[in-house]
Amino acid sequence: MKLSLRLLLLGWVAPLSAAVDFNHQIVPLLRKHCGECHTGDKLKGGFSLNDRSALLHGSENGPVVAPGKPEQSLLLQLVASTDRDERMPPKGDGLSAAEVSLLRQWIAEGLPWEPGFAFQAPAYEPPLKPRAVPLPPPVAGRDHPVDRLVDAYLAKHNLPRPPPASDATFLRRAHLDLIGLLPSPEEVAAFVQDPAPDKRTRLVHALLARDTDYAEHWLTFWNDLLRNDYGGTGFITGGRRQISQWLHEALLTNKPFDQFARELIAPPGDESRGFSDGIKWRGEVSAGQTVEIQFAQSVGQSFLGLNLKCASCHDSFVDRWKLDEAYGLAAIYAEKPLEVNRCDQPLGRTARPAWLFPELGNVDPEAPRAERLRQLAALMTHPENGRFPRTLVNRLWHRLMGRGIVHPLDAMQSEPWSADLLDALANHFQQTGYDVKRTLAHLATSQIYQARSEVLRGDANAPVFAGPRAKRLTAEQFVDAVWQLTGTAPQKMDAPVFRRLPDAAAAASLPLTGQWIWGPPAPSAQAKPDGENGLLRTDWKLAAEPVSGAAIVTGGDGFTLYLNGRRITGSDRGEHVAAVPLHDKLKAGSNQVVVIARHAGPGPGAGVYFQAEVRLADGTVATLHSDAAWQFSPGGNAGREGRLGALPKNVQPASVVAASPARAEALARQGPPLLAQGRGPAGRMVRASLVKSDFLMRPLGRPNRDQIVSMRPEELTTLEALDLANGQTLTRALEQGAARLAAQPWPDPAALINHLYTRTLARPPEPSERRAAAELLGPQPTAPAIADLLWALLMQPEFVYVH
Amino acid sequence: MYPLLDPQAPPAIVRRDFLKQLAAASAAAWSTGVPQAVRANSAPVAHPPAKADACILLWMAGGMAAPDTFDPKRYLPFEKGLEVARMLSTFPAIDTAVDGLKICQGLEQIAQVMDRATLLRSAVQPDLGSILHSRHQYHWHTGYVPPQTVACPHLGAWMAKVLGPRNPVMPAFINIGQRLEGVGESEELKAFTTAGFFGAEFGPLNLPFPEEAAVSVRPPPGMDAGRFANRDRLFRQLVDANPDRDRMSDYQRQSLLRSMDNAYRLLSSKEREAFDLTRESPEVQAQYDTGRFGRGCLLARRLVEAGARFVEVTTEYVPFLHWDTHKDGHETVARLHREIDRPIATLVRDLEARGLLERTLVIVASEFSRDAMMEGRPGSTANDQATFKVDTLGEMAHYGLHRHFTGGTSVVFFGGGTKRGYVHGRTADERPLLAIKDPVTVRDLHATIMAAMGISPQTEFSIEGRPFYVTEDGKGRPVRELFA
Repeated sequence: MKLSLRLLLLGWVAPLSAAVDFNHQIVPLLRKHCGECHTGDKLKGGFSLNDRSALLHGSENGPVVAPGKPEQSLLLQLVASTDRDERMPPKGDGLSAAEVSLLRQWIAEGLPWEPGFAFQAPAYEPPLKPRAVPLPPPVAGRDHPVDRLVDAYLAKHNLPRPPPASDATFLRRAHLDLIGLLPSPEEVAAFVQDPAPDKRTRLVHALLARDTDYAEHWLTFWNDLLRNDYGGTGFITGGRRQISQWLHEALLTNKPFDQFARELIAPPGDESRGFSDGIKWRGEVSAGQTVEIQFAQSVGQSFLGLNLKCASCHDSFVDRWKLDEAYGLAAIYAEKPLEVNRCDQPLGRTARPAWLFPELGNVDPEAPRAERLRQLAALMTHPENGRFPRTLVNRLWHRLMGRGIVHPLDAMQSEPWSADLLDALANHFQQTGYDVKRTLAHLATSQIYQARSEVLRGDANAPVFAGPRAKRLTAEQFVDAVWQLTGTAPQKMDAPVFRRLPDAAAAASLPLTGQWIWGPPAPSAQAKPDGENGLLRTDWKLAAEPVSGAAIVTGGDGFTLYLNGRRITGSDRGEHVAAVPLHDKLKAGSNQVVVIARHAGPGPGAGVYFQAEVRLADGTVATLHSDAAWQFSPGGNAGREGRLGALPKNVQPASVVAASPARAEALARQGPPLLAQGRGPAGRMVRASLVKSDFLMRPLGRPNRDQIVSMRPEELTTLEALDLANGQTLTRALEQGAARLAAQPWPDPAALINHLYTRTLARPPEPSERRAAAELLGPQPTAPAIADLLWALLMQPEFVYVH
Repeated sequence: MYPLLDPQAPPAIVRRDFLKQLAAASAAAWSTGVPQAVRANSAPVAHPPAKADACILLWMAGGMAAPDTFDPKRYLPFEKGLEVARMLSTFPAIDTAVDGLKICQGLEQIAQVMDRATLLRSAVQPDLGSILHSRHQYHWHTGYVPPQTVACPHLGAWMAKVLGPRNPVMPAFINIGQRLEGVGESEELKAFTTAGFFGAEFGPLNLPFPEEAAVSVRPPPGMDAGRFANRDRLFRQLVDANPDRDRMSDYQRQSLLRSMDNAYRLLSSKEREAFDLTRESPEVQAQYDTGRFGRGCLLARRLVEAGARFVEVTTEYVPFLHWDTHKDGHETVARLHREIDRPIATLVRDLEARGLLERTLVIVASEFSRDAMMEGRPGSTANDQATFKVDTLGEMAHYGLHRHFTGGTSVVFFGGGTKRGYVHGRTADERPLLAIKDPVTVRDLHATIMAAMGISPQTEFSIEGRPFYVTEDGKGRPVRELFA
C-alpha cells in the first residue's frame, strides 16, 4: 500500500490543465476536420464556423455550441458520436479522442478566439480609406459629435447612458488625463464654485494650454510607444539613440501628427533617428531582430497598430500579413540588399522594398534609401490612409476612456465596437490637421467623457462600451502626485531636454561671445587639405556640477560634438545650429570638449562656432566659447559606438576665421534663443517622466523601454504592493511631506484632513472618513500620524485609479 | 528551521491545487494580451516526475573559468617569462570525496561534498559574435538570445508561473546579491531580471544585500508593529467608508485590495523571520559568512526552508570585477575561491541535514568560461577584451585566464534528484579546451533544469499570438543521464 502510493507520487503527475491555445491547437483542428464544408463561403447545413460570430450563430437548425457548456453543445455530440450517420465530419476517420477532448475544453473555456481571426475572408478587414460617417441626430440636446455617435450606439445595444460625473470627479480626471497632475485645493474650490455652464469645456482648453505640463505628461505615453528612454539596453554600446529632445519639443509645440510621423520614419536629422534606427545589438542577432526588421515591426506597431512580429519570421497564422510583406517594409529601411529569412533560415532571395498597402501607391524600389523612406513617410501619412489616424485616435480614446474602441490597441485588424465612432474621430483628427491637442479637446469636451465611470462587475474584456472606465494611475502620475503632496521632487532631471521653447526675451540678455575658429591660417597648408576633417578641442574646468545649461554648435561642412568622449550631437549640414542641454553631460572638474568638423573642400571651409552656458550646483554660472585658445588637429578619429576615438597627437593653436555672412546671420538669429533655453524653467517641478525609472516607478508599472509598450498593466501586483507598503523611496517622501505639513499651522485636525482629501481626491471627506482619520491623527497631529494618513490615502482605490 | 514545510510532504499536492487556479485564471484572461497557458500541439503537455520543488541558483557572475575551478588542466605556477600560450590552469588540482575526481585547489570544502554532486563539464554557449556579459547572462537566464520581440521571463519567473508559490505567503522568486542600480550594465541586467511577459506578479523580489533582507519584509524603518497595524487598519477603514465604493469597479478594487492584503500578510507573517540572518546562531552565521555571497547562501537556505520556490544568489555582476577577470585573474579567483568554497559546501550539508537536499536543486553556474588565449571559441570574430595583450608573463597581474571562452564550461548540480558523485561530459586537455564529449547547449541545460523541477521543456504560453516555450522553441531535451 505504502509502496504503491509512493509510485503514484513519483509517477507522472496529472497533465497541466491549462487553457487551450486557439491559434495553434483549435485552428488546425477545425480547419482539418470542418474547413471543407463550414468555412469561407461554404455553409453546409447553413452552418459556418468561419469566425466566432458565425459559430455562435449556429446552423439552420439552431445553436451548435453553448459557450462554457460542452455537454450542451451539439458540435461536441456530433464529433464524438459513434453513429456514422450522425457523426461529423461524415467522411474519414473523424476526430481522435484527444482532439475531442481539446474541443471540449475549448468550449468549456468559453470558446476563446483570436481577436479578428477568421478562417477565410471575409474576415473582418478594416477599411483602408477614410470613411465618411453621417452623424445621427442629437438626443436630449447632446449635440457633440462624439455624444451623437455614442448615444446611437448605446440605444442600438439597449445600454443605459451613464450619468454625469460630479464636478470634482471630472476635475480630477481631466487634470490627470490631460496634464498628469492633481488639481490643487485652490483649483478644486474655484472649479466647484464656478457657476458657469461652460466651465468644463473651459477647463479642458485651459489644461491643454499648459504646454509644458501637457508635454511632460504625454511624454510618458510617447516614450512607451516609441520605446525611448534616458538609459537602458543598447545605450551603453552606442547601439541606440534617444529622441528625447526632439520628442519633448514636438509635444511642446504640438507638432501635427503627420509631420511628427514623417520625421520619425524619414528623419530629417539626427534628433529623431532613434526610433527608426531601433536597437543595434553588439554581435550577431537572429534574422527576426535585425535593425531592418525592427524597423518594420516598430513602424507597423506604433503607427498602424499592426503586429508584424509573426510575419517577420513566417507568414502569420493569426492575421493576413505575410513574410514578404514584413520584409518589404524592412527593405525600405535597409542600406544593403536584404535577404529574406524564414524562421532564421535564408531563402536565397532578396526582399523588394514595398509598403503594406499598395492601393495607395508604393515606394520606388530603385530609389536611394533616403528617398524610399521619404516615400514611405508620405504613404503612411497619405490622406487616403485611414488606418493611420484611426490607430492614434484609438490610442487617445483608450487613454481617456480606459479601453480602446478597438482593443487590444495593437490588434487594429479586429473589429471596433463602433466603426462609426472610430471613423468619425479619425476623420476629425485628419481634418483638423492631425492636431493631437484638438482631438483630446474634442474627446474631453464630450459628455460621455464627463460621465461617471463604468462599474465593472463581469467580463472586463467584453467588446462592449458602457461608459468610460477607471484607469490605473501610471507610475509617473503616481510619483508626480507624491512629489506634489510632499514637495520631494528631485532638483535635477535625467532627460536631455529643454523644458521650454526658445524665448526671445531671455535671448536678448545672451550675447554671442565666441569666435569662428579653424586651424592655422592658409600658409600652413597641411592643416587644411581639401576633404579632411579638423578636430577642435579645449578643456572646460567647472567648479561644481552643472544643474542646467545649454551649448550651441555649428560649422564646417558638417560637425560632431563630443563631451567627455561621448558623441552628443552632430549634423551633416554645416549651417545647422545644434543646441544641446548640458545638465546631464558635464561634471565638476575637467571636461573635454571636442568638435570634429568636416571640410568638403576645395577652398577655404567654414569655421566652427561653439558657445555654452551652465548654472552650477554652487549657484554660479560658467561659460565657454570657441576662440583662439582652442586647439586644432588635422584629421580626428570619430571612433565607434558613440565614443570618440584616440585624439590626434598633432596639436596646433586654433585660429580665428571669418564666417560667411549667411552663417553669421543664421547664428545671430538662432543662437541666443537656443542658448537661452538652457536657463531652464524657473521653479517648475521636475516631472517623473523626465527622470530615469527607479525603485518606486518600476513596481508601479513603468516598463523597460526596449520593447514598444502601448498598454501598461492595469492591476497592482503583490510585489508592487510590498514596495508601496515599506519601500524606502515612498516612505522617505511621505516622512518629509508629513514633517512639512506638521509644521504648518492648522486650526484643527479636521482642517488638515480636509486639505489632504482635497489634495489627493479633489473632494472633502465624508463624515465617516473624517472620523476614521481624526481618530488616527488625534488632537495634536504628529508627523508620523500624518505620514500614515497620507499613505492610507495614496493606497485608496479611489486614488490609485482615475475615476 | 521553519516547520512550515514538511520535508516529507509530497511536492505534487501543492502543485495540483495551483494548477487548478491557473487554469481558471488563464481562461479569464483571454484576449487581453495577457499570456495564455496552452498545451503543445494537440497533446497535453505531460510534466515529468520531479523530486525537486525548489531551486537555488548560485550564479558566478562574470565568467567563471572552468580550468581554475571545476575542470583543472595542466598547472603551471607563476613564473616571469612563462609563455601565456602554455598557461591552462593557474591552480593545481586537488582530490575530492569522489575517487579520481579532481577540482582546483582553493575549493577544498566543496571537494568534500562532491560525492553529492553531478558535475557537468561540457556546457557550451553560442558565440554571439561579440562577447557581452549581460547578453550571455540574458541567454542563460531566459533560454533565449537577446534581442527578442517579446520580453522573455527569467527562469525563476517560469518556475513561479508554472509551479506557483510553494508557500502562498512567500514570494516565489527571490534574487539575492545583485544591485540593479548604480552598477555598469544595470539596464541590461534588468532586462532579464524580470518576469517579462508574465507580468510583475511573477517577477523577482530583489535583495541586493542579504544582511539587509529583513528590512524589505519589515514595516518601514521607524515604524513599530503597533503603528504598522494601525496604519493598515486606517487604510481599511477608509476603504470601507468611501462613499463611492459601490460605484467603483469590483475587479479593479478587488485586485488592488488583494495585493495589499498579500503584502500585509507577508509583512506581518512568521515567514518574514526567514529573511533575518541574525536569527541564526553566531556559529552558523560565521560558518557561512565569507562575505556577501556567503551570507546570501545562508539567506537562500532560510528562504527555501520557509517556502520560496526559486532563489538566485549571485557573486554579483559588475563589469571588470569578481569573476569578470580581464587582469589579475589568478589572484582574483583565489579570493573568489575563499568566498564561495565554505558557503556552498555548508549549504549543501545543511540542506542535506534538513532532509531538503533531495527536493532542492542547487546549481552552480556562470555565463561562460575563461581561457588565457582564446576569445569566444576557435574561429570567433569577437574582440579580444583582455587588458594585457602579452605573450609572456611579466608580472603577477598577467597571470590568469583573462579572455572569455564559450567552448566548454562547468556546471555543478547538487540534490534535486540529480546523481551523486557523477561527472558528465569532458573537455580537451590541451587548448582549445573545447567540450569534446557530450556537449550540452544552453537550451538543453534549461530543459534539464526545468525537467528536474517537474516542468516539461515543451511547456508553452501564447503571447501576442506567438507560442512561447520554456525552452527555446520547445526543443530543449533534458540530459537524462544527470538524474539518479
